[in-house]
Amino acid sequence: MTLIYAGLSLGAVYALVAIGYNIVFIASHSFNFAQAQLMMIGAFVTYTGYVTFKLPTVAVLALAMVVVAVLSAIEERIAIRPVSDHQTQLITTLGFGTILTGVAQLIWGTQPLQVPFFAGAEVLTILGGRVFPVEVALVVFAVALVVAITFYTRRRMGGLAVVAMSQDEEAATLRGIDVRMLAFAAFAVTGVLGGLMGAAIGPKTFAVASLGAALAIKGFVALAIGGFGSMYGGLLGGFAIGLVEQYVARYLGSNFTNLSVFVLLLLVLMIRPTGLFGRVQERTV
Amino acid sequence: MLQLWTAVRKVPTWVFPAAIGLFVLVLPLLGPGYELTRQIELTLILALVVSGLNISLGYAGQLAIGQAAMYAAGAYTAGMLSSAGHTDLLLQIVAAGLAALAVGILTGIPGLRLGSWSLAMTSFFLVLLVPDIVDIFEEDTGGHLGLSTMLNPTLFGRSLAPDAMYYVIVIVAIIWFAVFRNVVASRHGIAFQVLKQSPVLASSVGMSVFRTKLTGYAIGAVPAGFGGALLANLDLFVTPEAFTFHMATGALAASILGGSMSVYGAVFGASIIQFNNDQSSNFAEYSLVFFGAFLLIGGVLLRGGVAGLLRTGIRRLDRAAGLWPRRPAGAAGGGEAGGGAADAVDLPPIEGGALEVDAVAKAFGGNRALREVSLRAEPGQVTALIGPNGSGKTTLLNLVCGFYRRDAGRITVAGTAIDGASPHRIARLGVTRTFQTPLIPPGVSVAEVVISGRYTSDEVGFLSAVLRGPKFRRIRRHDLARAEDMLRLVGLAHLFDTEAATLPLGQRRMLEVARALVREPKVLLLDEAASGLDEAEVETLAAVIRRIRDAGCAVILVEHNFGLVLSLADRIVVLARGAVLAEGTPEEIENDVRVRDEYLGIVEPGDAPAVEEAGTLPERTAK
Repeated sequence: MTLIYAGLSLGAVYALVAIGYNIVFIASHSFNFAQAQLMMIGAFVTYTGYVTFKLPTVAVLALAMVVVAVLSAIEERIAIRPVSDHQTQLITTLGFGTILTGVAQLIWGTQPLQVPFFAGAEVLTILGGRVFPVEVALVVFAVALVVAITFYTRRRMGGLAVVAMSQDEEAATLRGIDVRMLAFAAFAVTGVLGGLMGAAIGPKTFAVASLGAALAIKGFVALAIGGFGSMYGGLLGGFAIGLVEQYVARYLGSNFTNLSVFVLLLLVLMIRPTGLFGRVQERTV
Repeated sequence: MLQLWTAVRKVPTWVFPAAIGLFVLVLPLLGPGYELTRQIELTLILALVVSGLNISLGYAGQLAIGQAAMYAAGAYTAGMLSSAGHTDLLLQIVAAGLAALAVGILTGIPGLRLGSWSLAMTSFFLVLLVPDIVDIFEEDTGGHLGLSTMLNPTLFGRSLAPDAMYYVIVIVAIIWFAVFRNVVASRHGIAFQVLKQSPVLASSVGMSVFRTKLTGYAIGAVPAGFGGALLANLDLFVTPEAFTFHMATGALAASILGGSMSVYGAVFGASIIQFNNDQSSNFAEYSLVFFGAFLLIGGVLLRGGVAGLLRTGIRRLDRAAGLWPRRPAGAAGGGEAGGGAADAVDLPPIEGGALEVDAVAKAFGGNRALREVSLRAEPGQVTALIGPNGSGKTTLLNLVCGFYRRDAGRITVAGTAIDGASPHRIARLGVTRTFQTPLIPPGVSVAEVVISGRYTSDEVGFLSAVLRGPKFRRIRRHDLARAEDMLRLVGLAHLFDTEAATLPLGQRRMLEVARALVREPKVLLLDEAASGLDEAEVETLAAVIRRIRDAGCAVILVEHNFGLVLSLADRIVVLARGAVLAEGTPEEIENDVRVRDEYLGIVEPGDAPAVEEAGTLPERTAK
C-alpha cells in the first residue's frame, strides 16, 4: 500500500504538469515547454514565503500564484505572441524555461530546499499503508482540478470560448471572441494554477533548479500516454508513470526508473501514437 | 566598390570556407599558445555536434535536442574501445559515428511517428538517461566518476603526440563540413526542405515521409558521434558530466544563433557558445540564462540566425551589382516578357497510363462522401471531373493519391492496382498532382522546385551526392536541362533563379504544373488548377494542358470553370453528392438536363428529375 500511495502522489505531480500543458494546448494548440519550470519557480517562491518571510499559508499561496502568473504573462508576451509557428514556439518556450532555471540557480542555488507543507509532515496510516499528508493532498488536488477544468470547458461560456478558439481562430473572432485576450488569459490562468501547483509539489519533490527538466519530461510522457488535449488522460497517464517509477525503483533499482518510463513512452508511441484518449485526424489536403 | 564585389563573387563560394579551414589547419605554425588551440579544438568538436542539429532541425525540420546523447554514445564507444586496447583513432571515429547512428535510428523511429513534440521530448528524455545508463554499465563506463582508463590514441600504427590531436580535429571538421555542404546542396537537401514545407507534397513527389525524416535525423547523429570520439581522445577521459541537459541546450542555442538552416553557421554558433562556456566560473553561473536568452532571441528575432543575416546581405549586394537574379544559359534567347504564352518547346512523348476507379466508396463517420464511384481516364485524353462543392471531387483525388483509405472499391494505375499503398508508392507508380493551394517550400529557387519533382527519377545516393562524381554531375546537368524545358513550357523560364515562394498565385500554379510534369507522369491530377487565374493565365494553362495530353499523359482535371472544362475535356464526369451523376462528351454533358439542374443551377419548368430531386436535401460538407 505504501508503494501505491507513493506512486499515486508522484503521479499526481506529473499529472499536474500534464494539466498545465493541456490548458495551453487546448487554448492555443501550442506546447509550453516552460510549464514545469514555472511550477519549479512556484515551489521556490513557496519556500521563500514560508522559510524566509515566515508568512501565513494563505499569503504564501497568493504570493506563489501572483509571481508565477506574472512570469507566465511575460512568457506569453515575449516567447509565444511574437512567434507564429508552433515549431519555433517550442524553441522560444524552451529558451524561456532555460532562463527560469538559470535564474532559479542564481537566486536559490543548486541544493534542494525542503518546502514545508501547511498540514504538517506527520505520517498517516490509511488502509495499512503509510502516507504523508502532502501526498494525499496532491492526489486530491490533481483529481479535483481535472474535474473542475472539464466542467468549466464543457459547461461554461468562457470555457466554450476557449474551445472554440482552439478549433478555429477566425470563426471564434467572428463570433466576437477576443482571441488574443483569451489566449493571454489562458496563459495567465495557467500561471496562477502553476503557482498553486508549485506550492503543492514543493513539499513532495523539494525545490531544486533541476526539477524543471525532470518534470517537463514526465509531464509530457503523462500527456503522451493519455492523449493530447485530454484532461482525464493526462491524469491517468501521470498516475501510471508514478506507479511504474515506484515499483521499478523498489524491485530493479533507482537507476532504472527513468529508463523504464522511457520504454513506456516508446511503447505508447509505437502502439498507440495518439494516446489512450487522443483522436485521429484524417484530412490532410 | 561594387566592382570589387563582382570580382569577389566570381570566386566559387567554396573557396572561402576552404581557405579558412586551411588557415586554421596551419595555425599552430604561428605559435598561438595552448589557450587558443584548446579553444579551437573544443569549438570544432561542438561545431560537429551543432552541425548534426542543423541537419535534423534546420533542414529536415525535426526538433530533436538529443544530440548530447549521441555525442555521449560516440565518446563512450571511443573510450571503451581505447580502454580495451583498440587505440586506432580512425577505427574509434568510425565506430563512434556508427554507435551514434544506431542510437539515432533506434530512438528516432518512435519519436518521428508523431512528429514535432514527441520527437523533441523523446530526444530530450534521451539526454536525461545518459547518467543512468552510464551508471548501469558502471564496469565498462566508470560510472559517474568517469572513464579514466583510456590509452594514448594511435593512427596507422603510430602513436599520436598530444599536439597532433589538433590536426586530427581540424581535418575531421573540414571533411565533415565538406560532406555536409554537398549533401545540403544536392537533391537530398532540397528534399528535406520539401518535406519541411509539407509532408503531403513530399509524398506526392514520391518521397517516403517517414524514411526521409529518419534519414535526416539519423545523419544528424553521425557528426555528434565523431565529436564524441574526438572529445574522448582529446582528454583521454570521459565523464557523464560532459553530456548534460546544459550541454544539449547549449548546442541548440548555438544552432539557432548561427542559423539552423546553414552549413557554416554551426561553426559560428559553436564558437559563441564555447567562448561563453569558457569564461571563468563566475561567468559560467549565468550560462543557462544566456543560453535561454539566445534561444528566445534567436527564435523571435533572428529567424535565419547569423547565417540568415549574412545571406540577406550577400543577396542585397548581388542585386546592387546586377549579379542577381541570374539567368540560365539557354533562357537568354527565349525572349518572353512576363510569363506570356507557352514557348514552342518540344514536349517529348510521355508514356501515359489509364486510371481506373471502380466502385469506390468512402465515408467520414456518417457522411458518405463517395458511394460506388467508377470512372476511367484514358492516356492521351483530358478527363474532367466536375460537380458542386462537397460532391466528392477532392475526396476522390485524395483516394487516388492514397491520402485517404477507401472503404470499398478498386483503383488501378496503368493496370497496377494501388491497393493499400502509401502515397509515395502511388506517386512512384506514375501518379502526380497539383494542389488547390499551391505548396511551394520557402527559400527555394524556381528551378529547384521543379527539380524536386524529379526526386524519384535517376536516383542519386547520398554517397554520390557527397563525392560529386561524374554520374552525379551528369544527372544534375540533366535535372537542370529538364527543369528549364518544363519552365519554358509553362512560360516561367525567365524566373529560373527567383525564390519560388515569392511568385504570384498564377505563376505558382504554373510552377506546380511544371513540377508535376518534370517526372513524366502516367497520370496527372490537376486540382482546381485554374482557380484564381486571370483570363490570359487560363489560356496559357489550357494550351499547356493540351500539349500534355498530346504528349500522351492521362490528365484528370478537377475544375469549376465550366467553359474551360467544355473546351478542354475529352470526357467529363459529373459528381453530385458522392455519386456519378452523368458522364460523357462535352456536348452530351452540356445538354444533360440533370447536370444543368444540379450543377449549373438552371431550372427548367416541368422538368421531372428536378422535382424528384428537390425532395432530398443537398448534402454540403465543409471544405
